[in-house]
Amino acid sequence: MNLSKLLPYNKHTVKSFFEFERTPLNIFMFLLSIGLFTFMLIGIVIYLLHGHHAYGVTRQHPWGLLIAMYVFFVVSSTGLCIMSSLGHVFNIKAFKIVGKRAIIGAIITITTGFVVIAFEIGHPVRMVIYNILTPGLTSAIWWMGTLYGLYLFFIIMEFFFLNNDNHKYSKIFGLAGLVVGLAAHSNLGAVFGFLVARPIANGVFFPLYFILSAMVTGSYLLFLIYGWRYKMKFPPEVKQSMTTLAQVLGLLLAILMFFEVWRALTAIYGLMPERGDIAIHMITSKNFLIGEVLLGMLIPFVIIVLSKGRAIKLMVYASMTGMVGIFFMRYDLVHDTQLAPMMPLKIREYSLPPGLVEYTPSPTEWMIAIGAIGLSFMMYYAADKFFDLDH
Amino acid sequence: MARYGMALDYKSCINCKACESACKEENGILLGADNHRIWVGVNEIEGLFPDLSIGSSNFQPSQCQQCDNAPCQTVCPTNATYYDDNGVVRVNPDQCILCTYCMQACPYDARYVDDRTVTVDKCNFCSDTRLIHGETTTACQATCPTKVRIFGDLDDPESEISQVLRDREHYSLKAHLGTKPKLFYLT
Repeated sequence: MNLSKLLPYNKHTVKSFFEFERTPLNIFMFLLSIGLFTFMLIGIVIYLLHGHHAYGVTRQHPWGLLIAMYVFFVVSSTGLCIMSSLGHVFNIKAFKIVGKRAIIGAIITITTGFVVIAFEIGHPVRMVIYNILTPGLTSAIWWMGTLYGLYLFFIIMEFFFLNNDNHKYSKIFGLAGLVVGLAAHSNLGAVFGFLVARPIANGVFFPLYFILSAMVTGSYLLFLIYGWRYKMKFPPEVKQSMTTLAQVLGLLLAILMFFEVWRALTAIYGLMPERGDIAIHMITSKNFLIGEVLLGMLIPFVIIVLSKGRAIKLMVYASMTGMVGIFFMRYDLVHDTQLAPMMPLKIREYSLPPGLVEYTPSPTEWMIAIGAIGLSFMMYYAADKFFDLDH
Repeated sequence: MARYGMALDYKSCINCKACESACKEENGILLGADNHRIWVGVNEIEGLFPDLSIGSSNFQPSQCQQCDNAPCQTVCPTNATYYDDNGVVRVNPDQCILCTYCMQACPYDARYVDDRTVTVDKCNFCSDTRLIHGETTTACQATCPTKVRIFGDLDDPESEISQVLRDREHYSLKAHLGTKPKLFYLT
């Protein structure tokens, strides 16, 4: 069977594959992608040699930077899927242009997320086997993993039919991907929300917040993807769509801030042990104030409000700070969940100030986590080369 | 089949750590794995000399609480954690994928990564080394010089543990979480 008939793609030689316009920015991104990816490979080799001992995780803090980065990537994927479905599935005119690039972005980010988690889960092959043979149906991780697998299948099919201009089937798979993606993503929130032993995470907040923050993340990524695609010289119809996107993002950020305020207030109120004290520690930390609030929410929000959503170029830059903020949101959610020592009886272990569990990511974790961004860039470059993502 | 539990007369504990040594020897816990599988909690004496609060100083031996409603079992994505016929919460290392969700979910910090099998492990009341051979003791209980630990079948009304739980006041750790621990602290 002829592959190019089944899935139309641009043919390339090795030389033509690596051909791109030699602008300083392009060269910088090329080197950055290769550099980050190399970092990731080095990190993976160290991990394969030393296992989890190469990471900074401990018995008291078993989840670290790689879990945060996995969440970061899958949130990005779900966000892109939701935002693209606004045009593609729900026929909102302004989002019509978003389709293909967002879906390939969603495929790339979730694949990167799976790569990252493969080096955090101790036995990924065993996971695939026993996920099927002895499923733990009461486990949020089982539902999250299984639904994400299904989600990846659906969005690959969606892209396949989009690429073949078969809009009937792409819409069906798009809707299926959206529904399963939302279920998978809220289950990821439930992985934390179901932790009865950890009052700071336990409850309904995370499953809802994950969907909302995914939409914010998807919007930031769309600004970055389109800013890069048009090199800041937006055609009028794209400009119009991006303005609408900015206005929607403004609303989403306002709701997100509203969520965060009430989460903090309810967590602190009454100073319940392992919740109130942890919440105070959380919201007074630099990670939260500078990372989450300033970079992740305030800077983009202020730009949108002051420009009424018309400062598209500025929003592309603000989306960079936004994504840094989103990274802090993921890191903090994983880290803060584990701050309270579980067993105060082990007094001696926790007798030294500050009395909270400490964690510092190891160089290996940084290499794999940040290096994975390079993997995403490379996959996007390849997708852009092989497929026509604009039509 | 029995339903094993343990009562701890913790006020008799002298922190000799014989239980820790016996457990680690019996179950092959690697050197350096302090506070893994079993531990003795220490409440330091409070106050400044000479106004020391002698009553504040005590030792609280602990380990996996062998919950009847174990959060670690509920969250396991591959059912590697299971209840055996004796009600003991155990881990099948062949099925464990080392996602460490159980370590996250356990309210008692009772789980750890065993570097020999590279899976998560925990106290199993010496099921592999003693109960399977028909013995009805655990290493920590058999070695305790001050008889802090009483191990036995909670379903047998004549067992020592059933009698002592009828006769003496006791409490469980973090009982409000609904985990229904089978470790009881005698007051």
